[in-house]
Amino acid sequence: MTKVLIVDDSKFSQKITYSFLNQYLEDAEFEFASDGEEGLNKFTENRPDYMIVDLLMPKLRGQDLIEKAKQVDREANVIVLSADVQNRVREVVEKMGVLSFINKPLDDKKAKKICDIIGNGARGQ
Amino acid sequence: MLVANKISREDILTELFNIGVGQAASTLSDIIDKQIGLTIPEVKILDAAKAKVELNKYLLQVAEGAVMVSSISFDSQLEGKVSLLFPADKMHHFIDLCLHETHVETENTLEFNDIDFDTIKEIGNIVINSIIGELSNTVNIPVEYTLPEVDVLNNASADHFVDSEEYRLVLMMFLAFDIEETEIAGAIVINMTLKSLDDILNTIDRLYNGS
Repeated sequence: MTKVLIVDDSKFSQKITYSFLNQYLEDAEFEFASDGEEGLNKFTENRPDYMIVDLLMPKLRGQDLIEKAKQVDREANVIVLSADVQNRVREVVEKMGVLSFINKPLDDKKAKKICDIIGNGARGQ
Repeated sequence: MLVANKISREDILTELFNIGVGQAASTLSDIIDKQIGLTIPEVKILDAAKAKVELNKYLLQVAEGAVMVSSISFDSQLEGKVSLLFPADKMHHFIDLCLHETHVETENTLEFNDIDFDTIKEIGNIVINSIIGELSNTVNIPVEYTLPEVDVLNNASADHFVDSEEYRLVLMMFLAFDIEETEIAGAIVINMTLKSLDDILNTIDRLYNGS
């Protein structure tokens, strides 16, 4: 069972992300957090295999969540799913060691890309 | 190069915003999985007083005073606030399209629940990021966003959206999305400091006019 934590302050985006990924991922268990702080707590307690992270969130920004999660586990598998299209933001976040930076909205092609990453990782475990 | 041969900075700015709006429409189309027709908006750069006059016309004629507004402030090297305004009575249909649901009984009411607000907040976030983010990329000036806010205002007036104290110039665009034969006439209001707009226009001059 692959555990996936979706951290996004929008329930709308949580629902879309879950719906897309659930279509393609077999044997996955999903958990949700609605801000960065809750995301960090759930990451620390439950150690999901993958964490999908939005950037613009209350309490703790996605960038800070990634940094703190990496302090807990340097090998943390993080995929960023954000509306921010700025090149500089992407460059900075990619240097934090994330697996992928994907722009919202999620569509079929992007969802398959995420699921390929998760699928390959899960098969290697 | 003769001055007459230079492309006006406003023309270039209009084009840059149009690219952002086009991408926003494409993004919305992906979300609702339907084709969206879009009128190309004209960008107006106005002082606060003129901006209020223009916006009040929209509020009276198109939105009849009731609007759903999604807004985000931005700072760092560019400072300002963007508001997306839509006629509130059209938003249930739009939200249903976003959620791929149908609720005939709620059409045209001004009652919205948490899911409605959450949906519009996220859609506004994505659209504003398309518009401001692309501009930021083009002029290579970074922005940092605050958390998006969403509200429904009855009897809204331009004073709600045009901040004549803190900001001096207002960029306005009126645009119409056509979704399944429903036209949603929206307005985008960008309050920006003079310095921010100067920085953008000067960068545009360097990039496109070589000065």
